[in-house]
Amino acid sequence: MKLGTYIIKRIFLMVIVMLGVATIVFFITRVIPADPVGAILGGNAPIERVDEMRHQLGLDKPITLQFIDYIKGIVHADFGISLKSNRPVLKDIINYFPATIELAIASMIFAVVVGVVLGVYSAIYRNKPIDHFSRIFSILGVSMPVFWLGLLLLLLFYYHLDLLPGGGRNSLFIFSPRITGLLLLDSIIAGDWIAFWDGLSHIILPAFVLGYASAASIARIMRASMLDILRQDFIRTAKSKGLSKRVVIYRHALKNALIPVVTIIGLSFGSLLSGAVLTETIFSWPGLGRYIVNALLVLDYPAVTGGTLFIAFVYSLANLVVDISYAALDPRMRV
Amino acid sequence: MLKKMYLWTILIVLFLSLTCLTNATTPKDALVIGANTEIFITNDPGVSFEVLPNAMVQNIYAKLVSVVVKDKQFITVPGLAESWEVAPDGKTWTFHLRKGLVFADGDPLKADAVVYSFQRVLKLQKSPCWLFSDVLGLTEESIAAPDDYTVKIVTNGAPSNVVLTMVGNTLSGVLNPRVVKEHEVDGDMGQAWLMDHSAGAGPYNLEEWDRKIKVVLKANENYWRGAPKIKTVILQDIPEPTDQLLLLKKGDIDVAWDLTAEQANSLKGGPDVSIVTTPGQSDEYVGMNAGWGPFKDVRVRQAVKYAIDYNAIIDKVMTGFAINNQQFLPVGYFGYVENNPYYQDIEKAKTLMAEAGYADGFDVEIVTNTTERRKTEAVVVQENLAKIGIRATINLMQASQMYAKFREQGLQIIVAGWGVDYPDADALSNPFANYRVKQLAWRCVWYDDYAADLTEAASKEINEDRRFQMYQDLTNYWHIYGPFAMMYQPIQFWGVRNEVKNYDKAAEGYSVHYDLTEVYK
Repeated sequence: MKLGTYIIKRIFLMVIVMLGVATIVFFITRVIPADPVGAILGGNAPIERVDEMRHQLGLDKPITLQFIDYIKGIVHADFGISLKSNRPVLKDIINYFPATIELAIASMIFAVVVGVVLGVYSAIYRNKPIDHFSRIFSILGVSMPVFWLGLLLLLLFYYHLDLLPGGGRNSLFIFSPRITGLLLLDSIIAGDWIAFWDGLSHIILPAFVLGYASAASIARIMRASMLDILRQDFIRTAKSKGLSKRVVIYRHALKNALIPVVTIIGLSFGSLLSGAVLTETIFSWPGLGRYIVNALLVLDYPAVTGGTLFIAFVYSLANLVVDISYAALDPRMRV
Repeated sequence: MLKKMYLWTILIVLFLSLTCLTNATTPKDALVIGANTEIFITNDPGVSFEVLPNAMVQNIYAKLVSVVVKDKQFITVPGLAESWEVAPDGKTWTFHLRKGLVFADGDPLKADAVVYSFQRVLKLQKSPCWLFSDVLGLTEESIAAPDDYTVKIVTNGAPSNVVLTMVGNTLSGVLNPRVVKEHEVDGDMGQAWLMDHSAGAGPYNLEEWDRKIKVVLKANENYWRGAPKIKTVILQDIPEPTDQLLLLKKGDIDVAWDLTAEQANSLKGGPDVSIVTTPGQSDEYVGMNAGWGPFKDVRVRQAVKYAIDYNAIIDKVMTGFAINNQQFLPVGYFGYVENNPYYQDIEKAKTLMAEAGYADGFDVEIVTNTTERRKTEAVVVQENLAKIGIRATINLMQASQMYAKFREQGLQIIVAGWGVDYPDADALSNPFANYRVKQLAWRCVWYDDYAADLTEAASKEINEDRRFQMYQDLTNYWHIYGPFAMMYQPIQFWGVRNEVKNYDKAAEGYSVHYDLTEVYK
């Protein structure tokens, strides 16, 4: 299959996945035994007001009609008006997404750098102290609850050691430029280095907490993959040719060992996007995860469905990019 | 080796340079309040209806009168209006504005602005609108400005305390019509713009609302009472109470809004932080369905009231942040006199059960929502009821699901709370005692015409002494026959840095009157 055909096929599949997600999210939010209007108006509201609002929002229509309206909206990239914020959901998403993506990228960088380095070294120095350290690091990474780890780090680095700030994207009295919404990038574009360092100091702890679990799994997979590659014949050949250890490892082994890690990176990115809510809460990070969860708590249907679809879209897109780059690198993948 | 050392040096310098940016003091002319701002929807006085946003909106928009706390009682004092009078019919109110008033931008503030703002509330028909339309009976035609300094409103004859507390309520904040009209989009009367901008004459201007980050207020130098001492107020979004505690102790915030009771108790007696408290504007109750099985008998309802261990709930569940107040009127309200006839008396409760024919008890379902506090309260009530033979199971529901079922009169026992809409006895007596308004009494199937008649008569009574007595009679009757066991009135508390002065005065009125002009450092 040609690369172009492969890409078209993948995009078509992505559309089907998105439609599936849209349908599932719609029906899940409708079968929950709770009342969004009641959640928004609260316990004091009289029943007349509840019925009136339900009618205004079209929630008294048959579910099939509601579904058709909803799909029509999605096709036009219109997720509706948030019941709570009274603003278009897309506008809210655009407002909160940069913070989430910035944190996800920072976490990803941390996870890849730490995961790959630890994985490679623990494979090279198998059963040596670095390997044991890597193992402990990985076990802790996948087993420590984000909430607990976040608070512990805040207590240590913010409260006791006074080394890092206590949450948020930037300090209250340091004003950051806003161009793309990505604070660090905007600070660089504007050449505002104070805002940049301030933003960087704020992102260290949340990026660490969010990326830790991914770093741990990348380290384990990198280690296994590296060990596997180091046992291959072509490595023995390279060594017997008299190439230095450095060249064998970095030029021959690492390149090949990275392939399975790329898949994990694609998958991890999705979990970093959707799993950020606890990190966002602990570190007062104004991201999309908190927006969606808070929308869920008040059953803000349009915000829940819109936010979930958006995350699913970005996730699918990230995997599409991974798959396409895979296919470009390795023609066997297009079959 | 040398290369590695260089690398480490660079990393350490980089890390330390980042850490230099962290500081732990707030400026002397700024007040930083840490709070979970999730509840914020808008800063528009005609739309906002939640406690935290209202606390900010009250400081942005001036009103004709202010409802303040004096000697622990809510009283009305002049605001933009220096005086007012009511006609003998008890319906026509005339407010006389001060001369020379201006909005924050310097525009003159005259009677037409008040009329525009009041009519806007009625046109918008948003959450607080019913306070004007239903409680005061206002229409667009009943609000007028005979001249630049006079505002006339014609009400449905509501008692003076009701009218004045409403005119001093957040929804009565006066907007600058010129600015609002300039920013009107598709006939929205400036709603979209006023979400994150302001056009008021209060002590502060809304400088910025960066969603889920901060709300920034800047002092209005044109404020008619004089510019406030604190020039910048920042409401910083910190959703997690533990973070608020850490930031407060370090001095990165001056006030923590959402501390848990345990955290607040841990701060008591500390060197840098104090706990400021004030009575909360809500009631926490156990409601019984008076139309269901055993609860049809008033003696069973009384038995439940005698079974509950009020002190245990206040001391253990609320760790002391609650007042033993067994009536629907909160402390400080018109008509409130301390009146707590119930205490845990298991023998008396058992006798009442036996007299009603339920000596062996019965099975019942307690419904409450999923918050930790309510869950614990329900467990305590369950244990208390077990002592008199009532075998209760607890069913936790999502709040909206619980209220939906409650509105259908479908619950046997509910453990819940009621937030006060406006600071008058009327706002409590109607939901709790008048089934005709289809609120709590109706949801508990307590169709008591004596209580309903008395509530309605009290809400129309203009003579304050007679009205006061009516509430005493109603409370006593309700205590005996009503389907509610009032567990407590919560106490609102904040963690406040000691360098912040007078916060207790600023927060005394809590959801009714949160006055940042009182604060200084």
